[in-house]
Parts: sequence; C-alpha cells; structure tokens
Amino acid sequence: MTNQTKSQFVAVASITSELSAVMVVAKEISLAAANAKAIAFRAGDKAKGFQPITDFINELAKETIELVTDINIHALVLYRLTVNEFQKTTAYNKFELAAKMAGDAVYANTMQEPLDNARLSMQDCQRQFKRDVSQLLGQLEAVMHHARAARVIAANSRIEASQAGEYLQSLQAVAESVDKAAHTIHDNVQRCRIALSIYRNN
Amino acid sequence: MKMTKIYEGSHQWIMFGRDENKPGNIIDTNQYAVRTANRCLLLDPGGAELFAPMMAAVLHHAPVDQITDLFASHQDPDVISSLGLWDQALTNAKLHAPAIWEGFLRHYSCESIEYVPIPDSGGTIKLDSVELQIIPAHYLHSSGNFHVYDPQAKILMTGDVGAAFEAPYAPVFVDNFAAHVEKMRYWHQRWMPSNQAKRVWIERVRNLDIDILAPQHGRMFKGDDVKRFLDWFDALQVGIAV
Repeated sequence: MTNQTKSQFVAVASITSELSAVMVVAKEISLAAANAKAIAFRAGDKAKGFQPITDFINELAKETIELVTDINIHALVLYRLTVNEFQKTTAYNKFELAAKMAGDAVYANTMQEPLDNARLSMQDCQRQFKRDVSQLLGQLEAVMHHARAARVIAANSRIEASQAGEYLQSLQAVAESVDKAAHTIHDNVQRCRIALSIYRNN
Repeated sequence: MKMTKIYEGSHQWIMFGRDENKPGNIIDTNQYAVRTANRCLLLDPGGAELFAPMMAAVLHHAPVDQITDLFASHQDPDVISSLGLWDQALTNAKLHAPAIWEGFLRHYSCESIEYVPIPDSGGTIKLDSVELQIIPAHYLHSSGNFHVYDPQAKILMTGDVGAAFEAPYAPVFVDNFAAHVEKMRYWHQRWMPSNQAKRVWIERVRNLDIDILAPQHGRMFKGDDVKRFLDWFDALQVGIAV
C-alpha cells in the first residue's frame, strides 16, 4: 500500500470520527435550545427578545444533525470507494507485472484485455472518488455555514440576555454554550475539509 | 516460477513452484494446472503475493479466457488469497471450494467468479472430456478440506497432506524417502489435528490407483514412494499440540 493510499484511508476514516463529535455537540445545542426556551418562558417579558432566538437555535441544531447524518452516509460510500479503488489499483499493478513477466509466453498477449479493463476500472474509481470528495466538501461547507450562523446567534443571545434582569446569568450561560458548540463544530469540520481538500484536485 | 509437466496424455498436468522471486518470509507453495483442449483448471492457485508470477507462468500453457476453473482445497491464504485478483482477471470462471468456507472465502472478494460450493461428500469437476474426482479430506488439516483425483492421469493432489518444509530450490520429486521423512514429520504432527480423520482418509485413498501424490508444499511422491508415504502417515500420531 502506497503512502498516498494510506493517507486516503486515514482521511476518509477521520471524517466519520470528526463528525461523530459534531453530532454530539449538535445534540448539546438542541438541549441548550430547550433549556433556553424554558428560561425565556419563565422570564416572560424580560426575555421577550430571547424567545424567537431559542427557536432559531433549535432549528439550527436540527438542521446540523440532519446534515451530519447525510454526510456520514456519504462518508461511508467514500470509504467503500477508497477500498474499491485500492483493489482496482492493486489489480492493475499486478496485471501489469504479470504481463511483463509473461515475456514471450505463447499466450502473453491475452493479458492485454484484463490489463486494459483493470486500467479503465481504476480510472473510473479515481474519477468517482474526486467527484464524491467535491460533493462531500460542499456538504461540509453547509455545516460550516450553520456553525457561523450559530456564532451570530450566540452574539445576539448575549445582547438579549443582558436585558433579562435576574435571568441574565442563565441566558448568558445558554449563549456561551451555543458559542462554544459552534466553535467545536467549526474546528472539527474544518479538519475534515483540510483532510479531504488535497484529494479534490489531486 | 518453475514449471514441470507431470502428465501428458489427452490432457496435461503442470506443477508450478519454487518461485525465485518469492518474498523470503512467505512459505513456498506448489500450484497445479490441469489443461484440456479448451479449458484450464488451477488447483490451489496461491497467495496474492504469487499472483503475477503464477499468471505469467500459466500464460505459457493457456490464454486468459480459457482459465475457466479454480479449485481451493481449503481456505488458507497461501492457497487462495489471490482470489480477488483472479476475480478481476477472469471473466468466465468458477471457483470450486468447500461449501462450509463460502462466506469466509468471499472476504477475498469474489464478484465475477461463480462460487461452486463442494458438499462435504465431495463431487466432480468436468473439464471438456476429463472428469476429476473431488475427494473429501476433512480435518486434514482444515475442517472443510478436499483433494482432487484424476483417474486417467493417476494423480492425487493432496493439499497439505504430504507437505514438507523444503529448501527453496529443492527438486520437485522425492528421491530419498527415508531422508525426506524428517522434513514432513513436524508438519504432519502439528498441522493435522485428528488421527481418526487421517485413518479415514488413508482408507479412502488406498483404493485409488495413484502414480503421483502431489502436495501443496515440498516435493511430490511418485511410484513406490506413494505407498511409502501412506504407510508412514498411517503410523504417525498427529495432533500433538494438545
């Protein structure tokens, strides 16, 4: 196995690992949204501006969970494709070696067809891998967009919390938790993107 | 890869082995081919490391599209881990292998090759006008294990039975049975688990008319050495690790 193939396996496998952490954080945001809604309800008029924000937070968490679920399915497809590409490349290399070793064997020329087919299969896999990586990068960008939106919401939440009187601390804690979660999602997804981006145009 | 024709009649048997390019840390194996007018059967075609030299050697005897059948005596990697590569090279081939190993052997990848499961009782492989018998050899050493007998060529391919640890360039036939025994003893005592299975197999193959006994490792036995081997194996206690 070449170093590039090893890196490709590691990159694809790491996506699933990074995204499972994102999933945990997205669920935490959803929980924070439910908590914020309850606090805002108790605070009544004092947290009037906060109430619609909790719906935003909840919606954002839900969408992130859906996106990550979808990306995980694509990551699994990409992993299978990586295995397939590895097998096709191995076969092509072995067929090429067999054809070379056959030399002047009576039937050496009959190796040409399997060799040509193996080359085409290998190239097909490589093209498909690049296509799927581009698609996955697009999906990861959508999650990044959600993370950025969550940070804006967290900033707004802080402003609204400052006007909530005795509920200030509780609502600020919600805003902090959303901000922290958004950071984590951003960092994890960014790592996925860096790991994959070298394969887009490689 | 050394090629030795061991039968020439209405069809041919070719033994492949003693591969000089083989990595030093993998065990040396013997592969066999049965070539008829339009078909070619590879018996225990070998590990993935061996695929390229094996394919190159077979091309001296058959075109790719006439390699129609593979046989795996059992599931070991030195026997058949090349399956995934044959699977991509051959467009119209069958793998004859123990039924109980099907789900396991498919881990090596078997998409285009048709898996023909051999029931515990054995069966036959028909190649043009040649009919080969599949002889049960369960627990020798694998729990699902078969050998192939050709009544016309009088050759019995015996997988790991008769195998020996040998020097890389050893001759292909046993030339001094007494000296050869020590190369086989530990192999059979340690790898073969059952004295009962051994006795049943010996009874079965003593009824066959055998000129050449062809194992997957080491040297082949011919003529009187076939009977000498059966007698020696009969007297040997196996399954020593327990």
